[in-house]
Amino acid sequence: MNPLSLAASRLHCLHNMRLLQTYLDGALDEMPARRVAEHLEECRRCGLEAEIYREIKASIHERDCTVDPGAVERLRRFGEALARDGEPAPGGAGA
Amino acid sequence: MPDPAEQQLREDAFARYVLPELEVLAGVAFSLTGNGADAEDLVQETLICAYRAIERFDGAHPRAWLFTIMRNAEAKRHRRRRPQLLRDPDQAQRLERADPRRAVDSPEEVVVGAEFDAVVTQCLGALPERHRQVIGLVDIDGLSYAEAAEILGVPVGTVMSRLHRARTRIRQRLSAAGVAPRRSMR
Repeated sequence: MNPLSLAASRLHCLHNMRLLQTYLDGALDEMPARRVAEHLEECRRCGLEAEIYREIKASIHERDCTVDPGAVERLRRFGEALARDGEPAPGGAGA
Repeated sequence: MPDPAEQQLREDAFARYVLPELEVLAGVAFSLTGNGADAEDLVQETLICAYRAIERFDGAHPRAWLFTIMRNAEAKRHRRRRPQLLRDPDQAQRLERADPRRAVDSPEEVVVGAEFDAVVTQCLGALPERHRQVIGLVDIDGLSYAEAAEILGVPVGTVMSRLHRARTRIRQRLSAAGVAPRRSMR
């Protein structure tokens, strides 16, 4: 690859890497998202980078994806009692 | 003595707009506080404030309304909280979440995956609180950038930059630990 093409290619990669996080979060508009997806298909280096960030997101998400139903149930009982009976007396807010 | 008809309206509005959001509120509170006991307290305070304000709520965007209430409750809690350096592990488990992962991975995948997860966990714990919060809100609770911005009281651009920095830091730590390749330069 000649130096000019290499520089252009790197700029293209930089541009797409700036959009990568937003793309992976599903927050890019349709057209830019499509362009990023095409680049990730074509560029092995950027595709690998995207894969690592996907793994990071998955690792974070999977560790903590369900709130303990016991805690939610306690809060639900608290909320229902609040709606039915009004505010608890001071010092009696514990579920 | 409250008017029974008014009380019924209030109860109905609370059941319609607030109670369906409880699970989301619990997850968001956990991301904000990083602590199960504090998260429950924060949700309770949010519910009480929502109850007091429900008559003035117009019914539009209940989740955004509740996030604003929770943000204010969290700010209030911060102002009155004593420095808290140690967490009670029993209390922290009260809002602990299930981990349904990797039931069918091969032994090699389990080892590599465990190393990867261990580095991510270590790095998450070392992140500044404002970075950890935004990662929790977006990557764990599934909030949009706008929703995370609403609850943190910051612009959407700040949410994006904090996310970017936090994930970049995790990515660099993975490379340093040898469980992810360094970004090559052609």
